[in-house]
Amino acid sequence: MIMLLRRYGTLIGIALVFVYFWISLPDTFVTSRNLLNITQQMSMLAVVGFTMTVVMSMGDFDLSVGAMASLSGIIAGIVFVSGGSPQIGILAALCAGVIGGAFNGFLVSYIGILPFVATLGSMTVISGLAFRLSGGKTIFGSAIPTSFSGFARGGMALWPTELIIPNLTIVALGALLLIYVLLEHTVYGRRLYSIGGNAEAARMAGVRIKPLRMAAFALSGLGASVAGLMYASRVASANPTQGASLMLDAIAAVFLGMTMSDEGQPRVLFTLAGVLILGMLGNGLTQLNVDSYVREMITGSIIIAAVAASSLSRTRIGSL
Amino acid sequence: MKPNSGLLVKLLSISKLRKSYGATIALNDASLDLNAGETLALMGENGAGKSTLIKILAGTVAPDGGEIHIDGQSVKLTTPILAHRLGLRFIHQELNVINSLSVAENIFLGRRYPQRFGLVNWKELHAQTQACLERIGIRHISTEHRLSKLSVGDRMLVKIAAAFLDDPAAPARIFIMDEPTAALASEESERLFKVIGELKRKGCGIIYVSHRLDEVLAIADRISVLRDGAVKAELKTSIATKSTLIEAMIGRDHVEAQQSLSPVLSESIILSVDHLNAPGLRDVSFDLHAGEILGVVGLAGSGPELLIKGLINKTNAGIVSLNGQPVMIREPADAWKLGIAIAPRERRSEGLLLMQDIASNVALPHLNKFSRLRIFLSQILQAAVAEKMGVRVRLKARNPQQKVRELSGGNQQKVMFARAVAGDPRALLLDEPTRGVDVGAKYDIYALLREIAATGVGILVVSSDYEEIIHLCSRIAIFRGGRLVDIVMNSGMTEQALLALCYGERQEQQA
Repeated sequence: MIMLLRRYGTLIGIALVFVYFWISLPDTFVTSRNLLNITQQMSMLAVVGFTMTVVMSMGDFDLSVGAMASLSGIIAGIVFVSGGSPQIGILAALCAGVIGGAFNGFLVSYIGILPFVATLGSMTVISGLAFRLSGGKTIFGSAIPTSFSGFARGGMALWPTELIIPNLTIVALGALLLIYVLLEHTVYGRRLYSIGGNAEAARMAGVRIKPLRMAAFALSGLGASVAGLMYASRVASANPTQGASLMLDAIAAVFLGMTMSDEGQPRVLFTLAGVLILGMLGNGLTQLNVDSYVREMITGSIIIAAVAASSLSRTRIGSL
Repeated sequence: MKPNSGLLVKLLSISKLRKSYGATIALNDASLDLNAGETLALMGENGAGKSTLIKILAGTVAPDGGEIHIDGQSVKLTTPILAHRLGLRFIHQELNVINSLSVAENIFLGRRYPQRFGLVNWKELHAQTQACLERIGIRHISTEHRLSKLSVGDRMLVKIAAAFLDDPAAPARIFIMDEPTAALASEESERLFKVIGELKRKGCGIIYVSHRLDEVLAIADRISVLRDGAVKAELKTSIATKSTLIEAMIGRDHVEAQQSLSPVLSESIILSVDHLNAPGLRDVSFDLHAGEILGVVGLAGSGPELLIKGLINKTNAGIVSLNGQPVMIREPADAWKLGIAIAPRERRSEGLLLMQDIASNVALPHLNKFSRLRIFLSQILQAAVAEKMGVRVRLKARNPQQKVRELSGGNQQKVMFARAVAGDPRALLLDEPTRGVDVGAKYDIYALLREIAATGVGILVVSSDYEEIIHLCSRIAIFRGGRLVDIVMNSGMTEQALLALCYGERQEQQA
């Protein structure tokens, strides 16, 4: 029973949340349109959550992803304001993400700063930079090219139905596929998990930890800037705080996912489950007109409950 | 030195102490007595059970059976605080100090700080510390310095001094000193011996653990020799000599046990190490020949345990050549790439990924080989290699997908060998290859290593088990004080002779 709960507890949780909203919101929650809407709402969190999974597979954290998402929106916005094409704006933002992430990785692996401290510091720097570049104002209006803001509004028809799959959802699915292959089916992913399992043993077995770690942080930076661009496209504007909530939510999603894995390892498909829970909660509670502060309290409690249940059952099994 | 009176007062009496860790028996009915006013030296080879005995007395390890009496009263030493209250004081071998605290605070660690009006009386704290340091003649260490600012030797001195801090609530009666002079200069050692003399006159008893024969013969009243977890001999120092001590440590029954190998050394040299300097190692040079098993031995702390780490982490000067070509090894990954496979000492903390399966563990250093385009993982290739290597090292497991943590110690060790041979290495560096492995698996591993050597691989084995070295190796490198002092052929070698070499006995006799 305990084994069963531990293995499927979080899945059961997803089902319960789903059923609860289905009953409370009989007309609006389980409609294909709303479900597709949820996938779009959570697509940014999904992308950041997936790349966060890469970093956390080594046992590290990246606290700078929220600030990086905001910064990349701002960078794209500034390029647009100064007349740059969408392509240049996107490229500039993605470059900033990779460079920022690689810098985090450099601090962590070559200087030897704890990831928590290094990314806390860079989070503050990046956030400050986003404010400085934007002057603290939101970039919006005619400066944003319609081809850029139109992307988030567009989608692909799901033949043969009338349904439109939002572009943002497709981006998130692409990220999922990419990270899934990377972590589960490449040599690189195997090495990352070996670092997470036992860094010293991995090193003694010939894993070059430093460059791998740096690359993982660079990837996390890239994921954050992709999410930032998705956000900017969706709201057709950029402001220096719009990505801030992504960081805690992404880490929470990975932790929720970890409760489902056998060995408590972060795995990207489980992270997807974590993202789904948070996405459904956000959507359903908003529709139920639950106050946003109460929403936060509920979300936080669910995270604590899931992780507590998982670690309790684990220690019980360990002591048998 | 003799006790003050003819009447012997038994301070401490240990009877039939037993302790085993899994299949390994550390103490097997060990018994000894300590009288007031005497120094009892405790000797024995690596793994004879000395450390376990000390840990039990210190209250950090619980015995499986047996009794401890202090002043004739049966006691259960369940915590370090209890041991302290009963008047036991320890100088442990490990440097367990807190580097971020001052000398004075380290000395008072776990004790009540002197207080005034409920606040710490720092002046008194430093004064008492100063007195404590001066007792063993330390004047060059300030009581206010952080430990991190001191040299390792000075940190050891602080630790030693802490054992002599007076505690009116629990007067010290019994001192247990584990290799206290290892980090001391000779005049500091002399000062320590004087303190030991004073303690004896006051009626304290001292258990003195040391590898240094001269020292033991000079300061001890009696010598107890531990072997295979039991006290096998008790000698009066007045009649003991170095050779009787070594013989007692090895045991007569072991002396004949030796393996006759045909020591024909191949001409081709696989690995050549020239003037290697690394932490704890000075100017180490040796050649590893094709097809040989080179044993590396020395007393605890004399260097062999650092050799493999020194070779694969480039923090050193010196030239390492592989098949005659100088190579640069900065980290273990370079070694693996060059065909030098490593099986580290601590299987669980540095060797294996316990949560992962056998196949992943075996393939980890060779992932590029077992992948497509060096990028995409091939589970099939991985499992096939793990299967094949598993058969080669006679691994007993359900399948390559079994988690490593579910395996026995011997089989875990075999996973490390499977990993090592999976890349067709030219040299194997093995650190304690049979530590914590049961006897059956041990001989299995010896046969396996000979098989591997027979294919022309050069194998280096660091081991603190002399029987193993004699059984397995064609040549034996001897370390003393961080230097490789001699390489001897293993023909007609006995454990006794080997131990004597480690102590530097033969050299002294020849000189």
